[in-house]
Amino acid sequence: MTATAQKGSGGASAPPGANNQPNSITGWIIRIAALAIIDAFAIWLVYMMIGDGIWQLATVLAIVTIGINIIFLRPQLYPLRWVSPGLALMVIFVAYPILFTIYISFTNYGDGHLLTKQQTIEQFESQVFLPADAETYNYTAFKNADGDFMLWLTPRGGGQPFTVTPGGEPVMREGEPPAELDGFTQIPQNRLLVELTALSALRFGAEDDSFQVSQQQFGVAAKYEQLFVYDPAADTLTNRQSGVVYRPVAGTWTAEDGATMQPGFMVTIGTYNYARLFTDPALREPFVMVFIWTVLFAALSVFITFALGTLLAIVFDVPEMPFRRLLRSLLLIPYAIPAFVSVPVWVGLLNPEFGVVSQAIKALTGGWAPGWFADPLWAKVGILLIQLWLGMPYMFIIVTGALQSLPTDVYEAADLDGANPWHKFYSITLPLLLITVGPLLVASFAFNFNNFTVIQLYNNGGPPMIGTASPVGHTDILATYTYRIAFASGRGADQGYAAAITVIIFLILVVITFFQFRYTNMLEERGENV
Amino acid sequence: MSKPGGRYTTSVGSMRRGKMIALIFRIVLAIVVLIFALFPIVWVLSASFNPTNSVVGQPLIPPNPTLDNYRALLNDPLNPFPQWMLNSFYLAVLTTIIAVIITTLAAYAFSRFRFNGRRQLLQSILLIQVFPNFLNMVALFLILQQLGNYLPPVGLNTHGGLLLLYLGGTLGVNTWLMKGYFDSIPRDLDEAATVDGAGPWLVFWVILVPLVRPILVVVGMLTFIGIYSEYVLARIILTDKALYTLSVGLNLFIQNQYSGRWGVFSAGALIAALPVVLLFLIFQRYLVGGLTSGSVKG
Amino acid sequence: MRNKRLLLLSVLVIGALALAACGGGQPTAAPAAPAVEATVAPTEAPAAETPTEAPAAEAPTEAPAAEAAASTDCAATLTIWADEQRAPVLLPLGDKLKADTGVCLNLVQKQFGQIRDDLKVAGPAGEGPDILIGAHDWIGELVNSGLLAEVSLGDLTDSFVPEGVAACNYDSKLYCMPYAVENVAFYINPDLVPEAPATWDDVKTLSQEIKAGGAKYGYLIQENDPYHFYPIQTAFGGYVFGKDENGNWNPTDVGIGSQGTIDAFTWLDGMYADGLLDRAAGINYDLMSAAFQNGDAAMIIGGPWMLDGFRSAGVPYKVVPLPAGPAGQSKPFLGVQGFMISAFSKQPLVAQTFLQQYVATDETMAAFLEANPRPSAWVAANANLDDDLKAFSESGVGSDAMPNIPQMSAVWSSWGTAMQLVSQGKQTPAEAAAEAQKQIETAIAGN
Repeated sequence: MTATAQKGSGGASAPPGANNQPNSITGWIIRIAALAIIDAFAIWLVYMMIGDGIWQLATVLAIVTIGINIIFLRPQLYPLRWVSPGLALMVIFVAYPILFTIYISFTNYGDGHLLTKQQTIEQFESQVFLPADAETYNYTAFKNADGDFMLWLTPRGGGQPFTVTPGGEPVMREGEPPAELDGFTQIPQNRLLVELTALSALRFGAEDDSFQVSQQQFGVAAKYEQLFVYDPAADTLTNRQSGVVYRPVAGTWTAEDGATMQPGFMVTIGTYNYARLFTDPALREPFVMVFIWTVLFAALSVFITFALGTLLAIVFDVPEMPFRRLLRSLLLIPYAIPAFVSVPVWVGLLNPEFGVVSQAIKALTGGWAPGWFADPLWAKVGILLIQLWLGMPYMFIIVTGALQSLPTDVYEAADLDGANPWHKFYSITLPLLLITVGPLLVASFAFNFNNFTVIQLYNNGGPPMIGTASPVGHTDILATYTYRIAFASGRGADQGYAAAITVIIFLILVVITFFQFRYTNMLEERGENV
Repeated sequence: MSKPGGRYTTSVGSMRRGKMIALIFRIVLAIVVLIFALFPIVWVLSASFNPTNSVVGQPLIPPNPTLDNYRALLNDPLNPFPQWMLNSFYLAVLTTIIAVIITTLAAYAFSRFRFNGRRQLLQSILLIQVFPNFLNMVALFLILQQLGNYLPPVGLNTHGGLLLLYLGGTLGVNTWLMKGYFDSIPRDLDEAATVDGAGPWLVFWVILVPLVRPILVVVGMLTFIGIYSEYVLARIILTDKALYTLSVGLNLFIQNQYSGRWGVFSAGALIAALPVVLLFLIFQRYLVGGLTSGSVKG
Repeated sequence: MRNKRLLLLSVLVIGALALAACGGGQPTAAPAAPAVEATVAPTEAPAAETPTEAPAAEAPTEAPAAEAAASTDCAATLTIWADEQRAPVLLPLGDKLKADTGVCLNLVQKQFGQIRDDLKVAGPAGEGPDILIGAHDWIGELVNSGLLAEVSLGDLTDSFVPEGVAACNYDSKLYCMPYAVENVAFYINPDLVPEAPATWDDVKTLSQEIKAGGAKYGYLIQENDPYHFYPIQTAFGGYVFGKDENGNWNPTDVGIGSQGTIDAFTWLDGMYADGLLDRAAGINYDLMSAAFQNGDAAMIIGGPWMLDGFRSAGVPYKVVPLPAGPAGQSKPFLGVQGFMISAFSKQPLVAQTFLQQYVATDETMAAFLEANPRPSAWVAANANLDDDLKAFSESGVGSDAMPNIPQMSAVWSSWGTAMQLVSQGKQTPAEAAAEAQKQIETAIAGN
């Protein structure tokens, strides 16, 4: 009996034996019980989160839970049950942050706009100022059995001390503050520190004429006044000392005459970041060159690592090969050492003056060594060399694994026909390998398309191009080039801009990947017609 | 059914001359490649014995070799290197086990079942995982912070939270790889078992999993290495020194641009690489082909 | 069929709700800002406290803000982010603070370079510290993002080195309490260089002699490091940003294209042209430092961070003041490190007081100096400097701190590129300087 794929309309074909008849009651019970527990947990979590205002994460969790329920209750979705754990994790920890990044790309989030509007208002409203000739006082704090405070204030400019409580009138006193007074006990200096936060929040004296403990100086109090007042109706911040009124304009508090205040806050700005990408002069000129190099870099990285990895995998995969396991383990080492160690080591080894590799080349050629860091072409060669070293183990291991799955019979038939090794490789091994390994090549391409780390560690994108509107190097890839613009802008890091860049790079990558999917025929699987 | 272990049944008794030459070629190639792969490592080794804190400005054999760097690494009360190794190791092992399970289950489904949207789902998984994740940090930080308010074991500065983040990246390229391997196993086996009344779970567990061991090893090793040397997420999430993983901890030694302790760092990097190599050595015996292995080409 | 499904669903829903009702509860206002609840019941209430204090506080063991330090008997906790070199000094200080006042110190150790980035995320999210250490050139961007609170030195302003205090100044307010002031100076190999050169032209001549004598390099510099090149630039009259009438940095006055910078680049180009430096050598920091250690280079510009390495390797060295140029003394960038207070701290005054009373003392500042030898920002501690550090200190007199305005981030790349292009001989000094100037002005204007 063959299990032919049912390509009918609607519904998957669950393999025989898994229909929604509970052929085992226990299985059914387990499923329901597990779902109930998961749902209970999720309901509790979502409820708590919404209660605390964290509705984005709550929504995601709710969607995931509902999805799980649907998958496990509908028999047509049986196959998805196998995929659901990984899918759930991916949605929460990968897909959701991607949505977040996309959201950021429509905002001005970045240095100078890290806070929410409410946070900036709170910061401004917590600022105080002292009117011009105001008096400052040294204070001693008192506390009574109910936890109320009292301040003994001594004017710093000389004068009679007095005590005051929150909401009460000042009472004149004389001499030094006593240990006990009116039921209040003096707080010793060394115990004052723990009370400071509570003290700072209080206003001593009459409502509109109150004293406050200084936030800047220990032991000092004065009639501080709030510097800024926020008017929710008019949505303005007013500086009470200067009278200037500030309005929020695109995330910055701006006055009538254009003067601005920091900090600003995060605000959505529509497609401004995307528009910038197309109009920014810093971005336009070398863009094409950088783009071409990025594609070349990624493609060549994949090609050379795959070629060498495959060659080695095939050559070493024979029983006569001695120390096979040790060899494979040793070849894995470059992959096991982190790039931020190995790349600087390579950079040193390639150095034209002091590096061993360059010195060896000089010995062979009589004094000439490639300008690994100064010459545009050789810099590219150098970085590809390092990529080969870094990536070959990965390909080697994967191909070694994939080789184990190739069928013997085809090779035996080819041997009978007298095929030579190259022919066998090219017509049999390679196509079969590509089917299995193809997606990894695509993923490796995508990874190298954005391989920020290696480019930066090598020479930070250099050697520099001349005559560009912003710093660009000959080994810069799209990611390093554009992020440099976003993070070295005049106001620090512009995350919103960087997020827009990320999205655009991703879209470019999707287009390229789409063609790769087509080309490598991965959609057509081996054994599909079996 | 073909005989098990079919690949290596070629007798090794008679080595003809052609094979001799081929063997010598293979060995020479192995040596060349080993040199290429390992000589930068030799420099790292040299730096680890060198008391000056330079990476490559020194000659290969350091003039004053010492074990000071290793001693400093292992006896530093402020930097618990052994603890870091333990953290990295068990975190990587745990992640790998769970990740391999998740991936295998999914790969089986993608390979054996036909359902609407299967291809699209596979492609979407791949595409989602290749979205550049430079800016994910803020989102992930906030997610863990929020989760941690209600579920302390998986909040910020916990290994549980970090584990969740790692598991989020499980479904991806490795799923494709495994699926491809599953595809290579003929359906006849499935059908034979089904005829006998086995459900999909039994087919999966009893028949197929033993056959896909090589790819389990590969995916396991790759995952292990990936988690073991993962830096960015670990640095964002972990703030307690005792909880650090190796990459984060070792980076403390070279945090300063101008005064990095490269000697100690190199020693640490080398020691850190050992478990990976050992693990791979041990698990390689499962990398032998199963039922449907082929002979070598070339 | 349908009934079966309904049955399934209802069992599921009922079961789930039942479990949820049992397990869950009211949403405890799990605080988004787990900064210390100052109302945690003090269990070590001193005699002056009355037992009825704050009965509404949660039991300390359930406090959601579980600090790393044992906080069960802390009346309040200050969280500090510090690096591994400051930590050993701060720990005993924390014990002292607790014994004196009942306030605990929660020390979180971080990599110095990560503190700024982490603050940007953690601060607004409520996970930030009360106090952090940092470099003064972070101040501009941190203040603009609303992450720092003002710091007051109180009556102690005169106890600090004036350059240190000036570096902490931004927009006429103070944002850090400095503890170290560092700058580069001139290292010479006394075996090869008997007498320190007085001017940069002398350096050139001396390099020729040294090279003729067989050494590889006289004076060596990295190819692409404007920070180390800056003293030379100032010696010829160049600058980075000008200042306005209030003494604040003026971002519209960029000095990379100024004549002084061009002259400095010309001098550099001359060194390469005369063969005293190799154009294609690609010297980076690591190689420069190694060359000096091996005796391949006789003179380099370097900072106090190199001292430990040189001393332990037994390298012959001497620290001397930087040579002068046509426009006067070389003025390296001052890098000031200090303590800052987070704007999201719930207890800025406690933090402020801790800084003023415990950190700004002779003992603590001396301890910082000992833990990490750098010229201190505390005047009294500088009386005990060794000769090397004294030389560094002298080199920095009269210099400016690195500009701490956010526009500085737009400068480094282009400036470094210009230097690199001149070093590689791909552009003339005038061209390189002009192009860098243009790039920087474009970047700054774009915001």
